Amino acid sequence: MSAALLFAVFGLTGVGIYLITSRSLSRIILGFVLLGHAAVIALVTAGGPPGEAPIAGRSDDPIANPLPQALALTAIVISFGLTLFMLALAGRQQTLSGSDLVEDDLEDRRLAARAEREAALEELREAALAEEEES
Amino acid sequence: MIWWLLVLHLLGIGVAVLGGRRGIRTGLIAAAVAPAITTVWALTQIIDGDTEATARLMWVDALDIGFEFRIDDVALLMTLLVSGIGTLVFINATGYFSADADGGTRFPATLLAFSMSMLGLVWADSIWTLFIFWEATSVTSFLLVGHKNTYADARNSARRALVITGAGGLVLLAGLLILAEQAGTSTISEMGAVSGAAATTAAVLVMIGAATKSAQFPFHVWLPGAMAAPTPVSAYLHSATMVKAGVLLVAVLSPVFVDVGAWKWTGVAFGIASMLWGAIGALRQTDAKLILAWGTVSQLGLLITLFSLGSAKAIFAGTSLLLAHAVFKAPLFLVVGEVDVRTGTRDITKLDGLNRSMPIAFGVAVVAGLSMAGVPPLLGFPAKEAAIEAALGLSGTERAVALPTIVGGAVLTVAYTTRFLIGTFGPGLEGRTEVAPRRVSMTVATVTLGALSVLGYVFAPAATALVRAAAIESNEKAEVYELIRWPGLKTAFVISVIVVVLGAILGWFLSQRSIRVPDTVGANAADEMVDGVLSWAPRITAAIQHGSLPVYLATMGFAMVVAAIPFVFAIETDHLVAWDNPAQLALAVLTVAAALAGAFVGSRLGATLTLGAVGVCVSGLFVIHGAPDLALTQLVVETVIVVGFVVGLGALTTRFPETRDSWRTVRLVLSVLGGAGVTMALAASASDPSGTPPIEALTDGAKDIGGGKNIVNVILTDLRALDTLGEVVVLATVTAGILALARVVREEQQVSEGAVATRTGYALISTPSPTVRTAIRIASPFAIVLAAYLFFAGHNNPGGGFAAGLVLGSTVILRTVAGLPRRVKPRKAVTIGTLTVAFVALVPILFGDPFLDMWIGSIDVPMLGTIKSGSALVFDLGVTAIVVGLITASIEGLSTITDQVMADARKARDGATT
Repeated sequence: MSAALLFAVFGLTGVGIYLITSRSLSRIILGFVLLGHAAVIALVTAGGPPGEAPIAGRSDDPIANPLPQALALTAIVISFGLTLFMLALAGRQQTLSGSDLVEDDLEDRRLAARAEREAALEELREAALAEEEES
Repeated sequence: MIWWLLVLHLLGIGVAVLGGRRGIRTGLIAAAVAPAITTVWALTQIIDGDTEATARLMWVDALDIGFEFRIDDVALLMTLLVSGIGTLVFINATGYFSADADGGTRFPATLLAFSMSMLGLVWADSIWTLFIFWEATSVTSFLLVGHKNTYADARNSARRALVITGAGGLVLLAGLLILAEQAGTSTISEMGAVSGAAATTAAVLVMIGAATKSAQFPFHVWLPGAMAAPTPVSAYLHSATMVKAGVLLVAVLSPVFVDVGAWKWTGVAFGIASMLWGAIGALRQTDAKLILAWGTVSQLGLLITLFSLGSAKAIFAGTSLLLAHAVFKAPLFLVVGEVDVRTGTRDITKLDGLNRSMPIAFGVAVVAGLSMAGVPPLLGFPAKEAAIEAALGLSGTERAVALPTIVGGAVLTVAYTTRFLIGTFGPGLEGRTEVAPRRVSMTVATVTLGALSVLGYVFAPAATALVRAAAIESNEKAEVYELIRWPGLKTAFVISVIVVVLGAILGWFLSQRSIRVPDTVGANAADEMVDGVLSWAPRITAAIQHGSLPVYLATMGFAMVVAAIPFVFAIETDHLVAWDNPAQLALAVLTVAAALAGAFVGSRLGATLTLGAVGVCVSGLFVIHGAPDLALTQLVVETVIVVGFVVGLGALTTRFPETRDSWRTVRLVLSVLGGAGVTMALAASASDPSGTPPIEALTDGAKDIGGGKNIVNVILTDLRALDTLGEVVVLATVTAGILALARVVREEQQVSEGAVATRTGYALISTPSPTVRTAIRIASPFAIVLAAYLFFAGHNNPGGGFAAGLVLGSTVILRTVAGLPRRVKPRKAVTIGTLTVAFVALVPILFGDPFLDMWIGSIDVPMLGTIKSGSALVFDLGVTAIVVGLITASIEGLSTITDQVMADARKARDGATT
């Protein structure tokens, strides 16, 4: 296994993670593409040593393992399709909110607000009880 | 027969709902049919003496999961109690409820559902069946306790009962699973005795489960609260049947746990604590129903103690008391219910002179009460004698612990019984109580049940037969014992006399003074625990499920890092080389540099361009590795993606928003760790190569099966065509998604400002230069030829359907750039492609071949010679069409959305200037 390829995987994964944890949807897409590259290289690297192109009868030298290549090809095309879809989503987000920032999930924020409200209510109730006991 | 009885109950539930529409009394009578028939069946079984019945309905045979029932003698005794007392309770309830009471469709059906669950529990012979019906009794009990659902008190009590018995059920399940593992079977009747550490754990867990159900200290707190239920429910569930489930479980499993010391001592500890604390509790209440409820806790404690001790005498005494207790406690509760209905109160300080105004109820209460106190000539007497005998028969520590507590508990029992009778029926502290007229149905039930205590004594041999048969199931040596009507002057009898005298004096003394009812400390503590859980749950949820996507992703990233740690130790460096080729190192460094630049460059356009650079470098790495197909595809994909970014994001503000510094640090750390983790895992994967890649098999397979030389392409279109089929379905779906998003935006535009003439989205990438336009016009036919070449060559050389589709798609983009007319309709392309792919996949089935089986033939293509291929080529054609459709749809959709973004921005700007 080549350390150079490992380095490429390291760099692409690292930068990819850095980008997808950002709030800007367009940066997340960039990160997604980089992670896709990292995954494909990892797949091919794990598949075995390099060799001649896997085309039968072209050369007598050993060929590279073709199976991970087929899987990688599928992976490339799928991440291609998803990237285009995410771009469309980013654009739609822009038309709706005026920015491409990822907001916190509405349902989750509602839940958090409910928890806060209930905690506050409980405090009020306890305060009222304490007052009642005093008087 | 078991199935028939269960179906009968199910039908009964339906009929009870229907009958309940005409009033609660009709519903109750309808519901009473099933228990009545079951009682008759149980009686005939007992008289026949041929008692064992089994039924099995397996679901997962290999795992022993299914419904398994077995009615042995214990189960038969319990059936008699459950269904017999059940029938009388239904009859009594028709008097307890007024004719126009609410809940007619609800109450009778639920009570019958409980009755059925209880039967299932009693009959269960596998841990799964047992657990299911165990939980069913908890749930139906919850519904019944909370019957008066408009009262906060009833709801709280129901919740408390459910939480405690439900939690106990889970503990029980854990215990049963361990037990089944140890015993090697989940069928209870096939289990042999177990021992060892795991068996001890199982024993303690099962005992805790039993203790929650049978209201043992400190889990007893739910039982007094459950008195919020209508009194017939209390009489049925909380004295005669459901609370006996725990006792029954201890009885059934005592042969299995006979060698486990912890089983005995956990049970005895629960039992003794409950026996004493329950009796003390009963002496401190002024509500007649609560006196009985606390008394039940005490009695159950005695039962658990006896069954846990497990000696033949103790088991026999326990079984006798099980029967006697059901027969005296149910009528006592029902009498209290009658008192409540006819006077409007159950407070013993307010009731006065009921011995004269309610003579029949008084008579029943005296009979049942004396049986509870263990006075002859009533069934309770020989049962209590047996218990004292059992304690006397013990030796060593067991005797030292059990004898004084059982005797002490008996004294307290006599005391609270005396106080109950004097308080309820004797003179009160406030004037005479008004009494409403008697209701026949209530009297029928109470008198019948009350009479059983007498009959049990009179026909002691018959009762002995019933009890002995049941006791033998738990301990075979129990067959020598019997219920003795008059023992003569033996030690146990002397003790009994002393117990009754002492208890009566204590009870009389206490009934003459007013007692301050203690606070329900335990129940409050239990409620606070539940409230605490309920109030903390949303807070914890809010903290964990915070809704921030970046934080979620970061959490997953850190988890991934942790998961990667073991790989570090699996790396063997001798499999590593620095590089395969010096160019590889250069390209790898360039790739990472471009990616880093993309992350830290401030402008979106700059980031997009670095993305293109990364793609090109990665293609180079593929070339070096010997993957020309990947390199080719990657290059074209990268081109299209860059264009997509420009069109899709071009309208956004040109610079990225700023983020907080602290979060940035976290992200940086995570990035380095995450990258390292993935790299370590990858390096470790190469360190232990298990076998060699099946390259030869794939090469031969490509030639023989797929008829092509390009192995990757044959894999994609033939050997693993199912993967490709799944992939193009993803692409088709994505296309539909993009088109749908664009359509929504377009419709909004038309609603707000009519048709939009400007094509600003295209303007971002199109050029007015006539030179470029001409060049593209000339280039497009060549591009089409190139695509055709790649398509046909793909079977034997680098290329194939994806590459051809991507090249064609790029041509569409080029023509768009040049402002030339676009001839591809994305929806049509995707539809045709999907249909083609589906056609190739499905047609073989018509000829009896497997799905996606490819047909091979030879085709002559000009310039390329003869190509040996077949339906795989058609399949690839479908793939090409879908890829072209996707690219066209993306360009069209993204530019439509961008139009809207820019129109919005313009409007905002105009608004700002005017």
